[in-house]
Amino acid sequence: MTKHLRVIVGLALRNLQRHLRRTLLTASAMIAGSMLLIFSLSLGDGTHESWIDSGVRMGSGHVTVESPAFRTTQNIDARLSTAARQVAELALQNPLLSGDVSAVSSRMMVTGLASSAAGARPVKIMGVDPRSEAAFTTLNAQVVEGRYLEPDDRLAAFVGKQLVDSLDLRLGSRLVLNAQDVDNDIGGQLVRVVGIFQSGVPEIDQSLVHIPLSTAGEFLGSRDDVTTIGVLLNDSAAVPRVAQALRQALADPVAAGQVTVLNWREAMPELAAAVALDDFGNYLVFGILFIIIGFGIVNTVLMSVLHRHREFGVLQALGLTPGETGAVVLVEGLVMTAVSGLVGVALGLLCTWHFFGEGLDFTNLMGEEMTFSGVVIDPVIIPLFRVTRVVHVLLFILSIGAVSSVYPAIRAASIDVPTAMKFER
Amino acid sequence: MRIGSACRSKVLMVLMVLGVGWPAQAQTAEEIIERVDRLLRGDSSHGVTRMQVVTEHWEREMTLELWSLGTDHSLVRLLAPAKEAGTATLMADDDIWNYLPKVDRTIKVPASMMGGSWMGSHFTNDDLVKESQLIEDYDVEMIFDGEHDGVGVWEFRLTPKPEAAVVWGYVDYQVRKDDYMPLWARYFDEDERLSRTTEFSDFRNLGGRIVPAVMNMRPADKPNERTTMIYDEIEFDIDIDASFFSLQSLKRRR
Amino acid sequence: MTSTQAGPWRQIGWRNLGRHPKRTAITAIGLGVGYFAVVFLVGWSSGLMAQMVENGTGLVSGQIEIHDTDYRPDRSLYDTIGGREGADISAIIRTIASDPAVVAAAPRLYAGGLISSGNSTSAGMLMGIDPSLELDLTRFLDDLVEGRIVEPGRNELLVGDELARQLGAGVGDEVVLVAPGADGSMGNDLFTIAGIFHSGLAFIDSRYGVLPLDTLQTLIVMDTGRIHEVAVSTADPWIATEAAGRLTAALGPMDLDIEVAPWTELRPEMVEYVALGESFYFLIIAIVFGIAMFGVANTMLMGTYERRREFAVMLALGTSPRHIVLTVVYEAIALGAVSLVAGFVVTLPVMVWWHNAPPDLGWLYGEVTVMGALIRPSLRVEYDVAVWIWSSVALLLTALLAALYPAARAARVPPADALSGL
Repeated sequence: MTKHLRVIVGLALRNLQRHLRRTLLTASAMIAGSMLLIFSLSLGDGTHESWIDSGVRMGSGHVTVESPAFRTTQNIDARLSTAARQVAELALQNPLLSGDVSAVSSRMMVTGLASSAAGARPVKIMGVDPRSEAAFTTLNAQVVEGRYLEPDDRLAAFVGKQLVDSLDLRLGSRLVLNAQDVDNDIGGQLVRVVGIFQSGVPEIDQSLVHIPLSTAGEFLGSRDDVTTIGVLLNDSAAVPRVAQALRQALADPVAAGQVTVLNWREAMPELAAAVALDDFGNYLVFGILFIIIGFGIVNTVLMSVLHRHREFGVLQALGLTPGETGAVVLVEGLVMTAVSGLVGVALGLLCTWHFFGEGLDFTNLMGEEMTFSGVVIDPVIIPLFRVTRVVHVLLFILSIGAVSSVYPAIRAASIDVPTAMKFER
Repeated sequence: MRIGSACRSKVLMVLMVLGVGWPAQAQTAEEIIERVDRLLRGDSSHGVTRMQVVTEHWEREMTLELWSLGTDHSLVRLLAPAKEAGTATLMADDDIWNYLPKVDRTIKVPASMMGGSWMGSHFTNDDLVKESQLIEDYDVEMIFDGEHDGVGVWEFRLTPKPEAAVVWGYVDYQVRKDDYMPLWARYFDEDERLSRTTEFSDFRNLGGRIVPAVMNMRPADKPNERTTMIYDEIEFDIDIDASFFSLQSLKRRR
Repeated sequence: MTSTQAGPWRQIGWRNLGRHPKRTAITAIGLGVGYFAVVFLVGWSSGLMAQMVENGTGLVSGQIEIHDTDYRPDRSLYDTIGGREGADISAIIRTIASDPAVVAAAPRLYAGGLISSGNSTSAGMLMGIDPSLELDLTRFLDDLVEGRIVEPGRNELLVGDELARQLGAGVGDEVVLVAPGADGSMGNDLFTIAGIFHSGLAFIDSRYGVLPLDTLQTLIVMDTGRIHEVAVSTADPWIATEAAGRLTAALGPMDLDIEVAPWTELRPEMVEYVALGESFYFLIIAIVFGIAMFGVANTMLMGTYERRREFAVMLALGTSPRHIVLTVVYEAIALGAVSLVAGFVVTLPVMVWWHNAPPDLGWLYGEVTVMGALIRPSLRVEYDVAVWIWSSVALLLTALLAALYPAARAARVPPADALSGL
């Protein structure tokens, strides 16, 4: 087969050229389809990344380090030991990982009570380092009044709008927080409201209170201990790598059952489900589209085969094997799809990036406050281009081309030479 | 609604009063308030009180038997209405347990539920738990020294210290000069709006001391509502120790 | 031949299809797949929306909710229907149930309190129901994870699986319920966990305790005529608004100070989301058939090219170019018709199958909530007749438009050149 490779390829290429209009028409379907696919996938990936980003910022990051008991008991006893915390934070500063890491926030989370002169409400008290949390959370961008916590703050609290309304608070108001401290006594702490946020998620707006970690440590007696370390990454694709690295660094505490490293899919299964659902929908649409395109290719290649009986007869008379004849057709189909696929993908990338690189604004359609699996969605979607995706798309297109050309290739290989010579063409 | 340490001290005041008969020398404002406050804390006590609660939707009167030891331990048992007799609340070292005789079970009340009202009154569970003294949490300033309705009184303004864990903007007290009896306490939020008022009256000798036998608490935003505690009997300095305040005592019907 | 004759154009067009059966078949399949794709994708998307609406309204809350006018948004214990005196609940339910659109109606009472099991105490929301009416109304109690539904008059409780886990309690265990009574007393009693439910909604599964209405009324010292809510389900969520209007009128004579609120009023964001989804349907049609058009155009173009001689002969014999065009056009229409039939033959059974017995997609992804309503993973589809019709039209149009250029080319074949063998 291989000694005639150049002949085969040459013939294939020339044939495409000979019926340029036909080739271009078929190619244009493939190009259009590929462009659309790239556009849709990059938007889809961008959307998912945006959901994931919003979700993990409201939650505990792409990767979370915490005590296994914490998720179930939410008790202050289920906190990370100082040693574990230090090991984890050090590991994250390692140059191998730090490139992927966008922000790290270590938090002390307890449930407690917030009281004002007007009443009391159950709350989730979150002691944070103002600087690192500011890089992590989105709440500091959703400030309605006042400001987020600052590094020098001591008796400051950042609270949600609904809590403010329930407890009749305003900026500067006194708020007393009560929670069970490390000795199982009820500790009380005065704080003042320095900022008010509104996230759009009711459970957060009515029960989350941010205070400086040092203040929390003081009144709970937990000093520098934290219950959770949240890690935010630049790209969710880095999650497995970072999670693995952390597990290795913390091998001993993990083995002892004191620490667990979770990724966002485990921490927020609903979000993972939403992303999977959307992905599935996308694959469905494009699977179908390419089946349609595939049929078009089959038709085109088949028709070209049926017109070249004589040509194929002559080729075989000249020494090409039936297999090689079939290969000519196969190569034709493959080359056509490959080229049109590449052009389509390239054009798709270019156009998407050029026209929508800044993001597609769906605000008119979606409004400001859609929630999906408990996460408020940003209506502006920025397309995300991933190399692995592009490679997958190209392989997909090639395989469509290959599959579509198989039947025509078989037809070409199975002509009867003497009969074929009787044809005029 | 939640009451801070000042009002909570008022509750304990009628449980444990001591110090009648101090020499009436010139004293600082702090000393006077500390004395009023110390009337309200310290030793042990045992008493019976009737608590009337009037809300927008219902009215109720309960008879309660109370024991206390210092600021850390108290036991309250309901004697009437008969349907609920035996219901008891134990506070020991910052934990609260409720015993429910009807089902013969004890439940522990977690911190996040401390804001709820105690036995339906305008007091909260949290009021039973706070322990610091008035003068630890507040700076005291005398704002009036004279007569009111023919009675010599002082009025004090208690302003929370910068880091005190109290919700009030300030608390005003009116104290009778001749016997250091508090006449009222008014609680204000930081916008200087009155939030609630506690009035003390019917001063008489109970268990060997002069105490206000009636304490009436009214929320400012609901003028038709009130909680009134009327003390029928009290003994002080009783022979009691921390072991009395146990889960077993909680369940005993006497 | 005169041009006024009806002419053999249709027959020629039709017969041309049969001349290259394989080619026709492949093209028809391509278009048929396009038809199936559009109908299926729109159907699946509708299915997701329908699930969202059904679960958002039918899982726990009901398509219409009736409350005392003061009840929302504070949800005070005392704002019962009919005020402090309560109301004749059976009469209300009867009146509601007599409306033809109504499937079921059930009374509910709510009280916040504590649920305690052993050493664990959780804050919970107690929901008093009438078990038999409730089962007709909502679905979250249909498939209990464990145990059975509560029975009226008994001290039994259903808890969400999350709450059960928090309390460390299971079916048959004893719990203490404590809730402030309407008379100021502290209502408390022992209950047995009769069953555990899983609604899929986190805030319900972790906080709600469901018990018989009469025992809850006893617990919080309320008369039997006092409830907070009547929840109503209608045969189709989208007729709820209209039904709500009728119910308001029907309940007027009872002179209760109530509001009858359909879900479209209580959850407007869901309505918006559905509208958003529907706005994409035409986009899907356009994209799918746009792509298909290329394939058909190509096939037709090749087809007309190879029939140059035939057209040349026809032209030489005096056929007008317009009629040549007609031939090609009829061929295209015939192709469209065949594709439509092929597509329909496959689409209809599959849609019926997936509408009534949708395959489960749990292996692919888990439960999702949209706008706080649960969506279970499945390939469930809904019918949308309008879309089916539009898709058919689009398919035929695709075939037609794809044929226009080839038809024009066909008509312009220079007869002499073509016949001479070029």
